[in-house]
Amino acid sequence: MVLGLGSGIFFSHMPFYRLHGMALTSFRYFPGSIFTRVTRALGIEVQWHKFKDPDKAMAKLDEILAQGIPVGLRVGVYHLAYFPKEYRMHFNAHNLCVIGKEGDEYIISDPIGMNKNRLSAENLKKVRFARGTSPPEGRMYYIKSTEHYKPLTADMLYKATLKTCSGMLGIPFPMFGAKGIAYLAKRMRKWEKLYGKHGAAMNLAQVIRMLEEIGTGGAGFRFMYAAFLQEASEFLNKPEWNQLSMELTEVGDLWRDFSYHAARFFKKREGIILSYDDIADKLEVISARETEVFRKLENSIKRG
Amino acid sequence: MKVKDVPQDDEFLQPDGDVLLRDRTYALDDDGKYREIPSAGWAPKNEAIRFSWSNNGEKAKEVLKEVLSGKCSPLKYHMIRLVMTPGILADYTGMSKRKINKLCKPKHFASIKPEELSSIADAMNISVEELTSID
Repeated sequence: MVLGLGSGIFFSHMPFYRLHGMALTSFRYFPGSIFTRVTRALGIEVQWHKFKDPDKAMAKLDEILAQGIPVGLRVGVYHLAYFPKEYRMHFNAHNLCVIGKEGDEYIISDPIGMNKNRLSAENLKKVRFARGTSPPEGRMYYIKSTEHYKPLTADMLYKATLKTCSGMLGIPFPMFGAKGIAYLAKRMRKWEKLYGKHGAAMNLAQVIRMLEEIGTGGAGFRFMYAAFLQEASEFLNKPEWNQLSMELTEVGDLWRDFSYHAARFFKKREGIILSYDDIADKLEVISARETEVFRKLENSIKRG
Repeated sequence: MKVKDVPQDDEFLQPDGDVLLRDRTYALDDDGKYREIPSAGWAPKNEAIRFSWSNNGEKAKEVLKEVLSGKCSPLKYHMIRLVMTPGILADYTGMSKRKINKLCKPKHFASIKPEELSSIADAMNISVEELTSID
């Protein structure tokens, strides 16, 4: 629901914006934008802080925690102690929630952790001031007041969904939105020529990682957005949205199929190994299907 | 995706067993309703991750050879091994990128100041002994 209300789903492939020396492929809007949109729509007031000095950042965190308010933090995962070693990249947009402090340890509720856990003050300080692409700079946020809270209305949903559609369909650059997937396909056909066999495989691995990264809800948020459409269809009493939800689910399944075949490049398994052209074809199908789904969604709102 | 199709295979080792990290996937149940299902792991995704790491390991091995033949300092090897870049390391330590690159040469690494050494080791989250050796 939050993903839908925050107009979170998106696609972009930006060869000019690099992460780990490779083009950035993203399936969502910038970190933080979903959160901001949702709280703004619901009239929840949120206080943000950003720090230069790590000690001040920790002191402020303690101060707010002492008032019994849970605090959200943006951290880098490279030094995050409880993450598996394989996930420790220079990824600086992981969010977690601190709910208390005991002695020198903080009690943390991580969005992908099933249980609460503890993290030492020292480690927390380090991850809050991780460096690299878009450093978190000790960002923290908490709910200041819910005085002006507005319950969810149909209008909010329509507005957010229209915004999503315009992002997916209306940006006049080839690398954004549903047509961005076809753009990625076009680039993919050239990868072997551009980067060699090895470099092409590295680039493909990067795309799969962004697509299936922890927290995407599977297939680059497509299943999550389908879940939103279903929930919204009940709320708005619009059965056709449930239909669209099922169509988007099919698109999600296509994405899964794509990763499954792409993964064969890395592990020589028996069976047919596809070429880059073949998996690029798959992406073009996905691109067309996604365009169709979001166009239908847009029309269902605009034409009542 | 159906609930029964939510992948539960191929899990990574979790350093902190209490947390139990899970991928939160959304899947359809038998009535066609979406539900949030925790997923332990999925082979294709993990293969992509392992592929990147094994690549990195190979690169590190090549650098290791150069270290042994005296062309590079251990710093360069550890930097590659831990996917650090000179830019990010410079950010962490407050030294310049040029200085970090310079320290990748054995000649300059030999005359490094102790406090510089410890700040680099700290940024990489390894001990000073580890940083100066190549095991």
